Amino acid sequence: MDLRAGDSWGMLACLCTVLWHLPAVPALNRTGDPGPGPSIQKTYDLTRYLEHQLRSLAGTYLNYLGPPFNEPDFNPPRLGADTLPRATVNLEVWRSLNDKLRLTQNYEAYSHLLCYLRGLNRQAATAELRHSLAHFCTSLQGLLGSIAGVMATLGYPLPQPLPGTEPTWTPGPAHSDFLQKMDDFWLLKELQTWLWRSAKDFNRLKKKMQPPAAAVTLHLEAHGF
Amino acid sequence: MLLRDCPVISKRKPESMALFAVFQTTFLLTLLSLRTHQSEVLAENLLLTPEAFKVSVNSAQRCLHLQWTVHNLPYNQEFKMIFQIQISRTETSNVIWMGNYSTTVKWNETVHWSWESELPLECAAHFVRIRSVVDDARFPEWNFWSSWSSWQEVNVQDSTGQDTLFVFPKDKLVEEGSNVTICYISGNIQNDISCYLEGEQIHGEQLDPHVSTFKLENVPFIRKGGTNIYCEEKQRKAISNGTVLFVSKVLEEPKDFSCETRDFKTLICTWDPGANTALDWSKQPSQSYTLFESYSGKKKHCEEKNRCNWQITQDSQEIYNFTLITENYLRKRSVNLLFNLTHRVHPMSPFSVQFENISATSAVMTWKLHSLGDYFTLLCQVELHGEGKMIQQHNVSVKANGKYLLNELEPNTEYVAQVHCADDNHFWKWSEWSGRDFTTPEAAPSEAPDVWRTMKSGSHNVTLFWKPLSKFHANGKILFYNVAVENLDKPSRLEHRSIPAPANSTELTLDGCSYQIRVTASNSAGASPAAVIVVPAAPGNKEVEEEIIEGTEDGFSMSWKPQSGDVMGYVVEWCDRPQDPLCDFQWKKLGPNTTSTVISSDAFRPGVRYNFRIYELSTKRIAHLLERKTGYTRELAPSDNPHVVTNNLTSHSFTLSWKNYSTKSQPAFIRGYHVYLKSKEEQCQPGAEKAVLPDDTVCCQYKIDNPEQKTFTVENLKPESFYEFLVTPHTSFSEGPSGTFTKVRTPDEYPYMLVHVIVPVVICVVLLVCGCLLKSQWMKDKCYPDIPDPYKSSVLSLIKSKENPHRTIMSISDCIPDAIEVVNKQEGSKIQSLGTRKSLTEPELTKLSYLYLLPTEKNYSGPGPCICFENYTYNQAASDCASCGHAPVSPEAPPSQWGLLTSSENLLKALEKNYMNSLGEIPAGETTLNYVSQLASPMSGDKDSLSTNALVPPPCSEYKMQMAVPLCLASPPPTENSDLSSITLLGPSEHYR
Repeated sequence: MDLRAGDSWGMLACLCTVLWHLPAVPALNRTGDPGPGPSIQKTYDLTRYLEHQLRSLAGTYLNYLGPPFNEPDFNPPRLGADTLPRATVNLEVWRSLNDKLRLTQNYEAYSHLLCYLRGLNRQAATAELRHSLAHFCTSLQGLLGSIAGVMATLGYPLPQPLPGTEPTWTPGPAHSDFLQKMDDFWLLKELQTWLWRSAKDFNRLKKKMQPPAAAVTLHLEAHGF
Repeated sequence: MLLRDCPVISKRKPESMALFAVFQTTFLLTLLSLRTHQSEVLAENLLLTPEAFKVSVNSAQRCLHLQWTVHNLPYNQEFKMIFQIQISRTETSNVIWMGNYSTTVKWNETVHWSWESELPLECAAHFVRIRSVVDDARFPEWNFWSSWSSWQEVNVQDSTGQDTLFVFPKDKLVEEGSNVTICYISGNIQNDISCYLEGEQIHGEQLDPHVSTFKLENVPFIRKGGTNIYCEEKQRKAISNGTVLFVSKVLEEPKDFSCETRDFKTLICTWDPGANTALDWSKQPSQSYTLFESYSGKKKHCEEKNRCNWQITQDSQEIYNFTLITENYLRKRSVNLLFNLTHRVHPMSPFSVQFENISATSAVMTWKLHSLGDYFTLLCQVELHGEGKMIQQHNVSVKANGKYLLNELEPNTEYVAQVHCADDNHFWKWSEWSGRDFTTPEAAPSEAPDVWRTMKSGSHNVTLFWKPLSKFHANGKILFYNVAVENLDKPSRLEHRSIPAPANSTELTLDGCSYQIRVTASNSAGASPAAVIVVPAAPGNKEVEEEIIEGTEDGFSMSWKPQSGDVMGYVVEWCDRPQDPLCDFQWKKLGPNTTSTVISSDAFRPGVRYNFRIYELSTKRIAHLLERKTGYTRELAPSDNPHVVTNNLTSHSFTLSWKNYSTKSQPAFIRGYHVYLKSKEEQCQPGAEKAVLPDDTVCCQYKIDNPEQKTFTVENLKPESFYEFLVTPHTSFSEGPSGTFTKVRTPDEYPYMLVHVIVPVVICVVLLVCGCLLKSQWMKDKCYPDIPDPYKSSVLSLIKSKENPHRTIMSISDCIPDAIEVVNKQEGSKIQSLGTRKSLTEPELTKLSYLYLLPTEKNYSGPGPCICFENYTYNQAASDCASCGHAPVSPEAPPSQWGLLTSSENLLKALEKNYMNSLGEIPAGETTLNYVSQLASPMSGDKDSLSTNALVPPPCSEYKMQMAVPLCLASPPPTENSDLSSITLLGPSEHYR
């Protein structure tokens, strides 16, 4: 796992621009019906941006947790992090996923991860860290909306959370702060793995939904704002 | 072990079963009374043993809470008892703590007691037992220890999994600097386990095979998120578990706790809170602050960490006793403050600061105050600032509105006036400042400008200078200067001149009269007093000798002698930049009683010569030059050497001249010069001494001590020698730079003589030659007259007229030449050549370059040609042709040609023939080189004899002197027997030219 701090202001500007133009994306607008290609591309771009942003955030947060969590070879047991959605999946299984299932898994995973991430935000006391976490949560919310847009374009319904299964980040009484820190570590790691997987997913979808030449032109126009 | 940290509880719980108690007490007293009669100790011990002994655990606090009762006590009485408690760890025999707990106990009362363990209780099982004794003087008979209760085991089993490693305590909150013991329980894990604190391994001791403890002493605060302690199995190198130790900073006591009111409505209490002890992960919030007032009993939780407002009610008390309490989860601290409210009044800052009646020198300042009540008097402090510094400070007692007259202000000056106030009765704090700025109007300049003048010698031009008035005296912006000139000698109209500021000089052209000049400075408010100066008709500047003074970096100190008692003052003038054309003229006026001063200026520079002139100013305001001074603040070494010109160079001396060298513009007083002379001579001339130059060369040094002597003659030099010289100035402490020597070579003496002797001679010769050329004919006549032509002689005509057939023309056979002479014949152009064998008398013979005189010798066998002169006037020597071995030879003819003349006979014949031919051919009167000798030859007319005697040299040169011999060699008349040799005209070594 490679979690490194870095400057993300440039990418932040890019993200803001992307979010600002999301309503204007034809894929989400349905009116022009340009197909799902542009919206998938946007989602893919957003995923890559979040990957970059998470590197910075994770570096800051793990330093806040202190050693051993910020050590490069730290690999704790996944004790309390079993409830986190796992991004790792068998390659064959991943290949065999249909578009709906692929998008649904992404949507569900980020829904859960976003909820956990907000719990992380409540624990951090440093104002700078709170700000970074809140900013990332907003970005992740944007990704979730983007995935929902793609699913809507393709005509897939959004998964409805089962009642009582709303994920929480309230550890049990036996859960120590040390294990909580481990869970935080796993949350960030899983989030990074999911972003990596999502990039693959959306890249695959993008290729699959390759539009005709006219649509390519439209995509380039949308990309060039 | 911190007993105080655990909630030590010793509560009495009166039971409601009073009736039962009465009976029981009665029974017990009865029993006790019977005790004295019984000796069964064991039974007695059992009576006082604590009963209902229970142990509960607060694992987070690491506390064991014990509770028990002593049933067998008399009813309704209190007994002072001592309970002894034993605590064992791991096993009962391992007693780790034993102590007594004294308390009063009632019948059937439940007693509580707590114990805090150093080690987390999860780390090991603990065992507790207790016994008691009545420690009451009223019942000395009960003073014996009861039996021990049974061991109570305390086992906090948090480690649910046997294959999991656990670290205790979990998430412990401790204070910075405290000691903490942690442990891990490895369960069934067989691997070695290492534990780390923030990456640093820690070492502990093994409590049992599965439990190890680590004592951490003086734990530091690292971060709000806690200090991570974790353990890993060495074999797996994977972190198994850990704990977070939340180390809080120590809660500090609030500092500088203070309360005050500004309006009698609110008390504002402030303090310095110190470090924030908050921790993340909701382990500990920031410390809280609570304000408690003991008289009113009111309490207020403070929202801010460093201040709290307390509302003053209308009927509130005058004295306040505040306690500020701060606490966090670990500690509680408090500070106390008792004060009288009226002594803690901090007035609000004044407002509405205004200025009234602002004049050039005064202004009235007014301000308003927030009311504190009718009985309050405030002390206000007014400060006046000008140019960034405080000028005035005044205290004013004020009830409601303040007012103060500010005096002694300067015109045209910007001021800032400010005021702050405090309680006049009980000073506590000044309020904040309130202020405004204002500017006083201008006033007329208060002082006359400082005026001085310079006068050019020999003219009536006066340049007036004045110094700008100081801000203090100008009282505003000076707009212009007025100059009024009044003729003192004859009544005339005042001449006015207005010069706009900031000019500081003007030039006046006056005539020969005395003038009074008045100068005033004017601003918008008026004119200054006039500065008066008088320019006399005759300046009367006398020559004053210049005196040298020594300056320092601080300036020039000078003094002078007053000349007259009627003095108004003195003026010292100088130039700050004497080298500049404008010179930056300066002056300093001094009082009449001053006879010394120090002139200093920032413009003074080392190595610059400053000239000072001291004037005496009479009461009539006329200046007289008193003294002149000159000096340097610091003399510097001369930077340049004079430019030296060499004059009057002779073979024994030369003169050096540096008349263009200005001594007054040098960076020091020039005291003289050193002339260095290098030569090959080892000894120096008198007047010079040897000197060693910086480059170790030795030369002769001439010293000139008069700086105005700018020539020097080096004498006693050798002709045709090289000399090198250098002239450098010297001051009192150094000399000029060691420059380049100039080379000089003295000339030799010959050209001198040449010029004086040879030249006149040459001129004379030239003149002589010219004269000769002009008088060439005369000279020719005098020195080398033309040889008369015999044919043109009158004698010849005489002969012809007599027609004498036997002319006495000398025959060649009669001639015995001693020598033959070839004479250049100007008239002819032909050369008689031997090769052509033509006669010498032929007209072709035009030129004979040489004349040879061949000696006549007895053994001479060679024949030679012979030229015979035929002259009636001159007696020219002629030799016997047979014996003359000479012939006319062209210059080109080599001497070997003489070898052709081997046969004298042939030669004679040839000569004879030629001669005859010549006679026949050449007419008389021809200008040929034919001389007819008048010598009588003894063998004349005998041709045969001539031929027969050809081998015998005939006697030669028997001349008959007819006239004077050319070249003035007169020969005696020959006789018959005269030896021919004796009349040889020329010796062998002589010849004619």
